[in-house]
Amino acid sequence: MAEETHVAEPSKFPNKRKLGMRKASKSRKKPNFDGRTGNFSNKPKKVDRKMRKLFRKRARAYNSDEDEDEDEDENSMPVIRDDVESEKEEEVEEAEAELVDGSRAFRMAFKSIINKMVPHDILGPVMSAHKKLIGEKLAEEEAERKFKGEAKKEKQLLAEKGHVKPANYLDSQEKFLIGVATKGVVKLFNAVNKAQHAQKGLDPSRSKDAKAIRKRRKEAFFSELGKTSKSAAKGHTSKGKADGEGPAWAPLRDNYMLTNSKLKDWDKMPETTVADDFGRMSEDSSSDDD
Amino acid sequence: MARFGNRKKKVFVKPVAAKKNQPTVDHITGNKIPKSFVFARGKLPGPLKQLQMDLRKLMLPYTALNLKEKKRNNLRDFLNVAGPMGVTHFLILSKTATAPYLRVGRTPQGPTLTFKIQEYSLAVDIAQSQVRPRCPQDLFKNPPLIVLSGFGSGDQHLKLTTIMFQNIFPAIDINTVKLSSCQRIVLLNYNKDTKLIDFRHYSIRLQPVGVSRRIRKIVQNHQVPDLRNLHDVSDFLTKAGYGSESEADDEAATVTLASDLGRINQASTKSAVKLQEIGPRMTLQLIKIEEGLCSGGVIFSEYENGDGKKKQDKEDSRKQQDTDEDEEDMDEDQEDIEEDLEDEEED
Repeated sequence: MAEETHVAEPSKFPNKRKLGMRKASKSRKKPNFDGRTGNFSNKPKKVDRKMRKLFRKRARAYNSDEDEDEDEDENSMPVIRDDVESEKEEEVEEAEAELVDGSRAFRMAFKSIINKMVPHDILGPVMSAHKKLIGEKLAEEEAERKFKGEAKKEKQLLAEKGHVKPANYLDSQEKFLIGVATKGVVKLFNAVNKAQHAQKGLDPSRSKDAKAIRKRRKEAFFSELGKTSKSAAKGHTSKGKADGEGPAWAPLRDNYMLTNSKLKDWDKMPETTVADDFGRMSEDSSSDDD
Repeated sequence: MARFGNRKKKVFVKPVAAKKNQPTVDHITGNKIPKSFVFARGKLPGPLKQLQMDLRKLMLPYTALNLKEKKRNNLRDFLNVAGPMGVTHFLILSKTATAPYLRVGRTPQGPTLTFKIQEYSLAVDIAQSQVRPRCPQDLFKNPPLIVLSGFGSGDQHLKLTTIMFQNIFPAIDINTVKLSSCQRIVLLNYNKDTKLIDFRHYSIRLQPVGVSRRIRKIVQNHQVPDLRNLHDVSDFLTKAGYGSESEADDEAATVTLASDLGRINQASTKSAVKLQEIGPRMTLQLIKIEEGLCSGGVIFSEYENGDGKKKQDKEDSRKQQDTDEDEEDMDEDQEDIEEDLEDEEED
């Protein structure tokens, strides 16, 4: 328990200082100690002073570097410096005496080891006689690691098979491919332009416009097909002549189903049905828009 | 003990989130929209997993981007899910000791094309190789266009490949399509000499033609230009810019737009089409075509022409021997890539 307090000390300097002072003038400080340090007060103070001192000493001997830190800390505090220092010196002396007494044998042993000249070796100073064994083991480990590394590398290589990092520049092949793709895009955009130019300014959701769009699309379609558009145009300009030129019965004409939407004066029934048919064929988009 | 026994075990079932506004039918053209799954058979190494992810992004928006697969999932599981979800195409990646493979199949009937991936580069690699990689926000919101070139030599298997890849993305109707939705393009170029297919993925960018770079930048960036070194405002227009002025806009790459596209590409002005690669990049070799989905008779085989029938017999005999072997997997694949991978439950 006393050790615990000691461990807690470095973080709390004021407490420690009080502790030192208390040791210097025991009877005076005792009541003060309880009141000032709340965390100390709830602990049982049954450990008598001598034991505590002993514990402290041991702890200090155990971690001597910490002790030095403490010393420095306390040196930096000039107020209570003298009595603390005297205390310290006393303690250090005692500890030294103990150390000298207890560890002479150890020191001798240590010195003998240190003074021994060890030939330089990759294994370092190995005290046991199994030097050879250890060497073998190390070599084995090395070989194993090497083998493992190779296997890993191979696996990695297999995983990366076919994976190619592209060059920073465009080589001729890539340029060619981009050219091909560009051509395709251009073709499509031109086709879209051609198709959508015809229906410009018309709203497909309005029925009137939808009809017009249908008509224009059909014209565009036939113009793609070729000759039929011409005949349709002819029919449009001279209705009466068109009647006279071809066979009298409409189905016998070449362009019966194709152009009779233009012939307004012919019977209405087939005209509407045909238009509807075309509409359904080319796009049922405008009808079901949702 | 009893206490634990009484406690009812709750099995967490992830609720199947109804796909919001993902129509199965294109509301403009009325065609069925093709959808796809991209997944792997067997364990894939890291780069191939990345390739799988890239392919999923490429197939967006009509694909399962976060499709989770487990080791015990066999092809039949995917098929069972594919039916209700309207998935029409499978892209299956696999890996053997010799090379990675890509299988493209129609569900549920097939056919299946098996490609050997000779070389591939990931989208990351492509981006790293470019000085200024480009990725606008809505790049993957619309399906890509597809361009097939060099397939017209009249061979049956090439024709089938063409049809397969044409149908893998939604068809576009040129009367109603919006140019702003054409952001990406997938190119498949067949090289007759090497019999390899180059698979590329580009983003499409349009730039107005005949406008100096500075003006274009001003319109694009909304930023006040630096006029410190100029004496007059007119200098800004008349002074030639540096370097990239010389980017020759060749006539072949210019189009007239039908409608406005963004702020800088006005309708009925000329625009130059610029493509930038976004990856992934693959070099494919068509190896085999099967009738069914990863099963059935071999229509075309790159290595042994005419031996397909014989092999089929061998397959059948093996099928009778061990019926519990239920899914085609990597081990089988590794044994002999030319051997048919059979899903035993298929028949």
